[in-house]
Amino acid sequence: MNAQEKAQRGTLVIERSYRANIGDVWDLWTTKDGFESWWGPQGFRVEVSELNARVGGALCYEMIADTPEMIAAMKQMGSPASHPVNSRFTELEPRERLVITNVIDFIPGVTPYENRVAVDFKVQGAQVRMVVTFDAMHSDQMTQMQKEGFTSQLTKLDKRFGSAA
Amino acid sequence: MQLDVFQALADPTRRRIVETLLAGEQQVADVVAKAGIHQSGVSRHLRILHDGGFVSMRPDGQRRFYALQPAPFRELDGWLTPYRELWEARLDRFGAALEERSKQRRAKEAKEGKKRS
Repeated sequence: MNAQEKAQRGTLVIERSYRANIGDVWDLWTTKDGFESWWGPQGFRVEVSELNARVGGALCYEMIADTPEMIAAMKQMGSPASHPVNSRFTELEPRERLVITNVIDFIPGVTPYENRVAVDFKVQGAQVRMVVTFDAMHSDQMTQMQKEGFTSQLTKLDKRFGSAA
Repeated sequence: MQLDVFQALADPTRRRIVETLLAGEQQVADVVAKAGIHQSGVSRHLRILHDGGFVSMRPDGQRRFYALQPAPFRELDGWLTPYRELWEARLDRFGAALEERSKQRRAKEAKEGKKRS
């Protein structure tokens, strides 16, 4: 991605260092139980149906609202409490780098776009440094908001027609 | 035409102008020279940046001085903050899961070590 694209997409970088074994860090991204143990926005958990950690390999999971508040919020928005996510590992260098790409082509009225999360790993003595680069504008939260926005627009329309009838 | 903050900064020439103005207030001729951009179009870019609130203009006789204004940069930062926070929270969970996983692996290794000895 060049600088212009970065500015347009609002790319953000977060770095963390962990006193841990690189194998454990890597497994949290590339194994079913590892991925399920932490992934997902607050209020959601994931259930992985397919995870194939190689270039082009699938990463498919169900994102499930997991707290009473979130379940209620999704219901209020007229969204199902869970939705499937189909991603792919588009780059993968074992214990060094991986890129997870998700093609968002299901939001009505929005041009299909890619949501990418790139992760670089570096062992520094007893620590592992992890650098996560992601697109803020094209993140899964943004996708969710766009979906919700669209849904709530439709709900408003329904109401308008409903009240007119 | 009023562009949003991302559109205003999506243009590479305008980003170069902004980077040049980081050094402080400057007149157009200096912006052109320091940013290494062509004279043609610079007024249009400066006008867009001015309309977007990125720069202020101070006339001084025949000369016009341009300087950066903080508001849209605060807006950019504010816009990105929730995304950063969401990911920070996610990585907090990653850290907790990692600790748990390391603990389990060490316990397993200790058990296996005991068996062997």
